[in-house]
Amino acid sequence: MSLTNGTTGHIVSSSSGLSTNLHISSEETCLKKAPFVNQSSGVLRATAFRDYMKENNTISWCTDSLSDFLDYPENIPIQSSNVQIMPSEDVSKPNDWQDWADQLITEDDGVTPNWNEILVDTAVADQTPKMEYHVGKSSGTSLSLQVNSLVPASPGEVCTPVTPSPSSCGSQSKPRMRWTPELHEAFVEAVNKLGGSERATPKGVLKLMKVEGLTIYHVKSHLQKYRTARYKPEPSAEGASEKKPTPTQDLSSLDLKTSSEITEALRLQVEVQKRLHEQLEIQKNLQMRIEEQGRYLQMIFEKQCKFGIDAFQPASSTQEKSETELTNEISSSPARVKTESGPIIVMSPSSEKQEEERDPSESQPSKRAKLNESSSTESS
Amino acid sequence: MKFGKRLKQHVQETLPGWRDMYLNYKGLKKLVRLIASSSEDEFVYLLDNELDKFNSFFIEQEEDFIIRHKELQQRIKRVIENDPSSQEEYENEMARIKKDIVDFHGEMVLLVNYSNINYTGMTKILKKYDKRTGGFLRLPFIQKVLEQPFFTTELISKLVKECETIIDELFPTMVVAEKMAKAVGTEAREGIFRNIVVALLTMKEIRKGSSTHSHFSLPILDLRDPELIRSFQLNSTIHII
Repeated sequence: MSLTNGTTGHIVSSSSGLSTNLHISSEETCLKKAPFVNQSSGVLRATAFRDYMKENNTISWCTDSLSDFLDYPENIPIQSSNVQIMPSEDVSKPNDWQDWADQLITEDDGVTPNWNEILVDTAVADQTPKMEYHVGKSSGTSLSLQVNSLVPASPGEVCTPVTPSPSSCGSQSKPRMRWTPELHEAFVEAVNKLGGSERATPKGVLKLMKVEGLTIYHVKSHLQKYRTARYKPEPSAEGASEKKPTPTQDLSSLDLKTSSEITEALRLQVEVQKRLHEQLEIQKNLQMRIEEQGRYLQMIFEKQCKFGIDAFQPASSTQEKSETELTNEISSSPARVKTESGPIIVMSPSSEKQEEERDPSESQPSKRAKLNESSSTESS
Repeated sequence: MKFGKRLKQHVQETLPGWRDMYLNYKGLKKLVRLIASSSEDEFVYLLDNELDKFNSFFIEQEEDFIIRHKELQQRIKRVIENDPSSQEEYENEMARIKKDIVDFHGEMVLLVNYSNINYTGMTKILKKYDKRTGGFLRLPFIQKVLEQPFFTTELISKLVKECETIIDELFPTMVVAEKMAKAVGTEAREGIFRNIVVALLTMKEIRKGSSTHSHFSLPILDLRDPELIRSFQLNSTIHII
């Protein structure tokens, strides 16, 4: 069953529930839209989704050639698989992408076999639902490398997939490659042994580093970044490389102020920055604690459900509640909290309405969490 | 819509390369309004995309920072150890280094801020979703978010603190309160410093008491340090609404 929209191209979904979404996000606003629709969705959802995609500068491609292809692997029990191509900033130009994307739509023969490869390969490898496949993306550090091999491709050679690997959005898949200072140290050592950043080759560095799981792509992109950092140090110092410390235009504005004034200004900047950082750390800790409490309350609630379903008179039809509602009910209802085998909570219908309108002057969250410890209730 | 407005302002003010990397709060909010509960999968798919976006960007930046951090240290070492041809050149280079390192420090803090803002936006979107659909997406999803690379900012924070140590060594002068208030930022540094100030004020605004303020909300941010506030106001080139 497929929905056809005249202005926006074909929307395809196969009956087995396989929905494939070719998803390209580009920095520029390239707007060709062929919305993505899931088999089971209604029209309203389709509209909402489409609008979202439109505004979000993302382009979903479902094309004739793809539809042919999509009908082919009907028995693959993958719920949703995506082929994602994500350009990095320094690579994509709107024109290139337009052309490339055009190729993708129009060239049946050229494109289909490649897509077959990708999806069939990954279909065979991975039958878990909701896997995402990234074309032109390794474990995720630098995208520019892989995309480089895609973008300048001549017509007909579109999308040569680099090893598709599953992405990790919190699901079971491989974690991304994350550099650490120690790893970087090892990298620099290796580079120096090989005669410096200009002489060293990715292969050589990789061999010297002997780090398991590190691929040549990681090293290559890291080397690129390293070179850039060395020969074009900080952005503010443009025009002056480390080799030639001659005065630059930057300094002319600095000349106007004495060096102590400059230092003062810098000092101020640092203090403000420190302050922001402090606040961020505090905020993050608070946020984590809030979630911890939410988990804790949820756990209690679930235990409660097991123990005392009879005692529990839900005011709403839903079994579970959000933790805010839950806390409200716990704290504001005339509930007794026993400390023996676990709290027994009697819900009262009236408290349900109080959702988020709490008295801000009430005690800190940390007190609330200790339900087991409090012997008396806190009524609002 | 308060957070949305703040976020939009922040994004407008932010460093150019970062503008597309923030949470698509507005879009997702619209979607939440329209979406029915049966399409939770799709919503989750979109959110996962956002997470991917954050993670990619964050990890890229982190890698860059690691490299630049080391390079700055090397640069300082070189300047100190090498016999400079002239005192003036030494001072020039040191001036450059000081400027660079302070901006570098700022950029890293901005990345932590980026992480935080997106996290905050996520929780809000999820809350809205649950409220609208009666679903229970928020709690489990946010647990997943907490584990994402972009949220684990410990390394960046560590680099920030290391940077502060280096800066302390380079800037022996203590800033007297009045001087701090009088200091005027130079045009050259407006980019990063300006963004920092915007970020701070945005944070303050976001955490202001609201109608939905509960004891699960973050406490109100108090920036009552008088010198600090005065220094914001003195810098007239920063237009903070």
